[in-house]
Amino acid sequence: MINEERVILMTRMASYEQHDEKKNMAIVNYFRNDYLGFEFLKSVICGTMAFLIVFGMYVFYDFETFMQDIYKIDLLAFGKKVLIIYLVCVGGYAVITYLVHAYRYHLARRSLRTYYNNLKKLQNMYERQG
Amino acid sequence: MTNLLVMKEYLKQFYAKYEVYLHPLAKFLLSLISLGMINSKLGYMGTIDHASIVLIVALMCSFLPRTCIILFDALFILLHLYAMALECAIVALALFLVLFLLYFRFSPKSIIAVVLTPVCFGLKVPYLIPIAYGLAATPASAVAVSCGVVAYYLISYMSGNAAAVSGMASDEMITRFRFVIDGLIGNKAMILTIVAFSITIMVVYIVRRLPIMQSWRIAILAGVLTDIMVMLIGDLMLDTNLSISILGLLGGSIVAALVGEVLRFLLFNVDYYRMERVQFEDDEYYYYVKAVPKISISKPSRNVKKINSQRRPQSMSSQNK
Repeated sequence: MINEERVILMTRMASYEQHDEKKNMAIVNYFRNDYLGFEFLKSVICGTMAFLIVFGMYVFYDFETFMQDIYKIDLLAFGKKVLIIYLVCVGGYAVITYLVHAYRYHLARRSLRTYYNNLKKLQNMYERQG
Repeated sequence: MTNLLVMKEYLKQFYAKYEVYLHPLAKFLLSLISLGMINSKLGYMGTIDHASIVLIVALMCSFLPRTCIILFDALFILLHLYAMALECAIVALALFLVLFLLYFRFSPKSIIAVVLTPVCFGLKVPYLIPIAYGLAATPASAVAVSCGVVAYYLISYMSGNAAAVSGMASDEMITRFRFVIDGLIGNKAMILTIVAFSITIMVVYIVRRLPIMQSWRIAILAGVLTDIMVMLIGDLMLDTNLSISILGLLGGSIVAALVGEVLRFLLFNVDYYRMERVQFEDDEYYYYVKAVPKISISKPSRNVKKINSQRRPQSMSSQNK
């Protein structure tokens, strides 16, 4: 005879396995700090690339003036200014992505815990029946 | 109302049955419309400005992941702009790269909003986007919708100023570049639209989650009014003169409200008259719970009853004849 409760549980678990399990396993396979560190590093790299693109556009936009003034301007002060803008932009972006990924890690762990609890429940059902 | 609910049940059943075909069909249509719009707006490269090419790419997109729709759209835009002027293509490429690196790398799910927003602009119903995303998504979708607005204004700016850009001498590369950048950054209508859409999405999201009766309907109304107000006030302040026509804004807002109502019916259909307030406690808490039942109706089942006509026994009298 079909055990309705068991069928419902198995359907729910199969749906989870099909959709979210792989993604969540990929996240939870890392230790929290490793995962967040890795994502932080990726964010810094991507942020740096985006900053370089924008900076390149800025330089190209004012290319003539930039080339004319290159010997007049205080390059150290200019470099310092660019570095500060870089740190603020990329730092801010990296912090935001860090928070987002921390939340994602928390959600992935919680949903996997629920999945394993359901597995245990299913095993108990079989044992009771057996 | 009952008929509508029955229809909803039929729709749900239809979707569940044909989901495998409906998803590729939706991707096919979306990529077909978006590529068609790009070709009609830009269309500077003759090689890809063909219905057959668009059809082939749309068919490919229907079987590939959703991200491919935006990749092909971006590729088409870049190729057309390259055919128009190299500087335009460089600016567009830089913009797409920055968007990809900063946002879509870690939120690929919301990528569809970037395609849908320009498509809705093309169909003259852009105002339904913030209402729909406020109802069905989270405030984070405001970023994706803003990217879509930028993409739309990029395309329309390029198509509107193609003659001016092409008219500049080819050795004035930096002048062309500066012209394109100035036009994009100084586009007040774009900034106003981004601000209005972002505020609307947040207002709709916040109001629809309030624990009040008819929260979704109030959210739709609040969203529509917010959108109109921000657009009008922004227009006065920024003096955008107007890329937004008042009639278009009002008409678009009415369409947005109607689409919002359809979404409400499909996603959040509850019966406030049967709302219950229950109160109970456990060891640690008192619970004051408000439970609002969903309106649901079972699909009418049709039983076909076969009535076989009874054969008459041949009458004895005819046999005797």
